[in-house]
Amino acid sequence: MRMNCRNHLAWGASAALSFSLLAATAGFADDKSNDADAADAVKTESPIKHVIILIGENRGTDHTFGVYKPKGKHQTISNILSKGIVNEDGTPGPNFSQAQQFAVAPQPLFYIGAPQKAKTVYTGNQMPQPNTNGAPSAQGTTGAPFTPAFLAAAAALDPSPDFNANTDTILTTGFTGLANNSLDSRIPNAGVLPNGPFVLQGPNISDDDYTGATTHRFYQAWQQSDCSIANATKANPTGCLNDLFPFVMATYALNDSTVPAVQKNFSEGNSMGFYDAEQEQASLLKTLADRFSLSDNFHQSFQGGTGANHFMLGTGDAAFWSDGNGNPITPPAGQIANPNPSAGTTNKYTADNNFSNCSDFTQPGIAPIVGYLEALPYRPAPNCATAHYYMLDNTNPGFYPNGFRAPSPAAQNMIPPSPVRTIGDALNEKSITWAYFGGSYNDAVALSNDAVTAGTAATLNSSTALGAAALADPAHSLGVAYCQICNPFQYATSIMGDPAQRTAHIKDTVDLLADIQADTLPSVSFGKPDGLLDGHPQSSKIDLFEAYVQQVLDALEAHPKLKAETVVFVTWDEAGGYWDSGFIQPIDFFGDGPRIPLLTLSEYSTGGTVNHTYADHVSLLKFIERNWKLKPLTDRSRDNLPNPKMRDDQPYVPRNMPALSDLFDIFDFDHRVNQPYLQ
Amino acid sequence: MRKILGRGSAVLHLSVLVSAAASAQPAPPEFSADIVSRDAAGAQVGAIAKLRVADRKTRIDVSDPPGGFFVSDADSGTALFVRSVQHIFLDARQSTPLTRIFVRVDPLEPCRQWQAAADLAGVAGTGDWRCERMERAIVNDRETVEYRLTAPGQRPSYGWVEPTLHFPVKWQAPDGGSIALENIRIEAQPAGLFGIPSDYRKLDPQALLERIKHSDVWAEPAK
Repeated sequence: MRMNCRNHLAWGASAALSFSLLAATAGFADDKSNDADAADAVKTESPIKHVIILIGENRGTDHTFGVYKPKGKHQTISNILSKGIVNEDGTPGPNFSQAQQFAVAPQPLFYIGAPQKAKTVYTGNQMPQPNTNGAPSAQGTTGAPFTPAFLAAAAALDPSPDFNANTDTILTTGFTGLANNSLDSRIPNAGVLPNGPFVLQGPNISDDDYTGATTHRFYQAWQQSDCSIANATKANPTGCLNDLFPFVMATYALNDSTVPAVQKNFSEGNSMGFYDAEQEQASLLKTLADRFSLSDNFHQSFQGGTGANHFMLGTGDAAFWSDGNGNPITPPAGQIANPNPSAGTTNKYTADNNFSNCSDFTQPGIAPIVGYLEALPYRPAPNCATAHYYMLDNTNPGFYPNGFRAPSPAAQNMIPPSPVRTIGDALNEKSITWAYFGGSYNDAVALSNDAVTAGTAATLNSSTALGAAALADPAHSLGVAYCQICNPFQYATSIMGDPAQRTAHIKDTVDLLADIQADTLPSVSFGKPDGLLDGHPQSSKIDLFEAYVQQVLDALEAHPKLKAETVVFVTWDEAGGYWDSGFIQPIDFFGDGPRIPLLTLSEYSTGGTVNHTYADHVSLLKFIERNWKLKPLTDRSRDNLPNPKMRDDQPYVPRNMPALSDLFDIFDFDHRVNQPYLQ
Repeated sequence: MRKILGRGSAVLHLSVLVSAAASAQPAPPEFSADIVSRDAAGAQVGAIAKLRVADRKTRIDVSDPPGGFFVSDADSGTALFVRSVQHIFLDARQSTPLTRIFVRVDPLEPCRQWQAAADLAGVAGTGDWRCERMERAIVNDRETVEYRLTAPGQRPSYGWVEPTLHFPVKWQAPDGGSIALENIRIEAQPAGLFGIPSDYRKLDPQALLERIKHSDVWAEPAK
């Protein structure tokens, strides 16, 4: 339901851009100023001395920038507007049928490339319709979105500065006014929406509203992508059609009375929603794209969800089930996935679990993906080690936020501590400073201490135990909003198993802002807002993530010297299950997945440019490794992949697949422009 | 502050809740003090909290979370956590043991009060929880009476009550760690420090929890 407050959106498209061109730097010599910034003394390949990676939740490229026109001179972008799928006002365009979605007749086994003869257009060309799912129905006095009189309510729970003047008002707005799991009638024409993308804009809905989420899990995402070499063309040589999004959502689970509530799914057609940036939706992100650089060929690294993508961001690899000492073992049967359809159903997964041994082609779900990879012209290796059961979907780390090691991970539904080498380990070896700044982390540590004292940490899943602790310790209850699965280092024995490492490197948002203020920012920083501000469509909003980003940028703006040598990358963990029209380059069994936006904010990446070079989360690792002269993390991590050789005639498809950019070509280090982030 | 809270919990091995029975003693003075936690070697542990006492109400300002304070009212039996900047308050529940161990007591019979609390907290066992008056002692330059508290199967803890304040000024855990009032100042306390302004709102962590369950932060398996 619309509220009349969008107080952080004042910068808008009308903001004048007052560029202040400065002379290009004379090389990348270390800064000799005698300030507190230890990172200045570290040799780097570029003038960049600090990288901050801010990670939101669940937004894709077409979902966010589908209707966006680059501001840079001669810049182009691949999106649903440029392809004519929609018009600038978000209505169906002349090529709307290119985004047409299909249903598939029942098949005996899991598939990722549906047989053409089994695919049908929806009756009346009407796909499953958008659903409110679990979005909040009303304002509350006890939880977000709060009543207007409750402006600072959530702030009270948060000792970090996540909550501030930018978020107070928008934390009161955006409730649906509708029942959960019902048709989202706020969306214009809901109920009769045509078969394709629809704009999340109208008198009763905007980027300031909570919306129903859409499932984004591993096997579901592969199936939605509908990849088959039989579909390949010159422009789309990997043959991913992305045309089964609503179908998979409507069929992988059952919503009848035989299914427990927690296993039901009401994603329906939510995956086809998008925002119209040209009509001031997600306007902070648009302003940043207008002034800096946007990548339109940047991808989620893992098909599916939050945990696996964050893990890939920190390691260039996938997590696997182990004995806790680094040795792979078979997880409990209840953890192993079987996406084959249940008897008598269209596509209801037999066991929608989180782990698979992809080295064994006989196991359910494996052969269709590996077979597809082998059929690709560049034959990417699945990268599945023998007898390793990989984490495909969200599973809490084997460590609590305070470093407490779960004594019975299998019984507690937590993945045992991970031996996989992280970028943190590599930075440590070179004495390069780094930190992961998680929103509400300090509260989560307090709740973890409570859970250890209460004994629940020894027996319960960490989400459950922290939830119980929050009810007993309300002063720290926002600790439940800290995202455990988002912190790739929380899985790692080398970091979380070592109190000195944990306290040195795992911190709260408050520490990120304090480090900027004190000019003690590490060389490498990861920033993740808590669950209320991360931009997740159902529990947060895109404008709340914008407010988080703005807070970090405001802090940097107040420290011009630090800002001048810092690049801020703004990206997402994944597309959240939202449909995207972009090319996908499969790299191994785990991904890539759909495009997600990447904004590169620095004085060397200005002008509203759009970078087309193929990249994913691991490209951020490659940037760090190149800038600070590190080697790839392991001999199997994705950061070993070469930089893409892009084609003039097919600017989104590398000639040397599989390949991943190190992002250096986004920058012009000979051309420095000092301008405000926002104004 | 977390370490102070932990120490406070270890000191008593009980959950002290103040009975509503009014004391027959002369009204004790209002005062303020610092709450300081120390390890067995006497080294300060954690941050200092600020205590203010007036009538049967206490206020404890803590550094973590920043700007937060606890107010408890022995007559109503309530303990609340308040964030004044954000105009919000919550039930303190178990957020800190400080609100339960630093409360007014009857200086002649503190054991009766603590016994009742131990019974409520379920740590008194089957009648073998003991509270014994020991001897007079000087704590931080103030005359006090020492008490020994013994929970079943545990080594004793100790408490020191300052009779004129009607207040415990020190607790010592079995491991020798302690939590005590320092820099005690007898001074009137503004009444407004102990109330909740009418425009403050109460927040329920259960509602927060339900919202988070609809996010990707919540990774509890469905099965």
